[in-house]
Amino acid sequence: MKQNSFYILAGIVGLVEVGLFYLSVEFLKPMLISVGFIAGVLILYAAQRLIADRRSDERSALINQKAGMATFMVFWVIFFAMSLGGAVIGFGAPRFPHPPPLKGEPGGFNASMSLPEGVAEATHAARDIPDDGLIRLGYFGYMQLALLFLMFFLYVGFRVYYARKYGEWETDEE
Amino acid sequence: MKNKIKVYRAMHDLTQEGLATELGVTRQTVLAIEKGKYDPSLELAFRIARYFGVNIEEIFTYE
Repeated sequence: MKQNSFYILAGIVGLVEVGLFYLSVEFLKPMLISVGFIAGVLILYAAQRLIADRRSDERSALINQKAGMATFMVFWVIFFAMSLGGAVIGFGAPRFPHPPPLKGEPGGFNASMSLPEGVAEATHAARDIPDDGLIRLGYFGYMQLALLFLMFFLYVGFRVYYARKYGEWETDEE
Repeated sequence: MKNKIKVYRAMHDLTQEGLATELGVTRQTVLAIEKGKYDPSLELAFRIARYFGVNIEEIFTYE
């Protein structure tokens, strides 16, 4: 397989993932996109090994390694800080760890993370979801996705930095 | 670390691409080593010296 064929395959897999995400949301099946994403990544990892004209050596490996390590060093601090904030919200909730609502009480799982007025009820009515705590849990996914995008941009930034440091775009008289 | 790869390359009438192919690395790596932007691993340094048929210290000097 040629490098450009791999890029085309990666684009196709990306489009399939978008479709799977749409179907997951449409039918409220989180497992569909989760399993689909893992399968897509495994396919790309397997295809990557089949690239015949890939030029990679110790310098590019060093650049990748340094960029990955620098990304991790920044990312774990941010992720840990966000997680600590989330844990504070959880531990600070008046009824932690979420006993079933008493008769006559509103059924929210965490009073400090309430949805805007009417959103949970409207979603319930539309899809008949048994526990609106799941919807609020889903919002946690937005934060995780934002952090993952941050990690991606951090990696690209560090990759460019180290590539420049080790002469990736140097030109010569030849 | 300084090196004389460019000199030896000229003596053997080799391009960066040619040397890179012989060593199994990219042209950018040969260029980065020549310009002192990247210090090669010990293994690659020995491969370079062996390719030119000289001792490693004749090509690489530590300053």
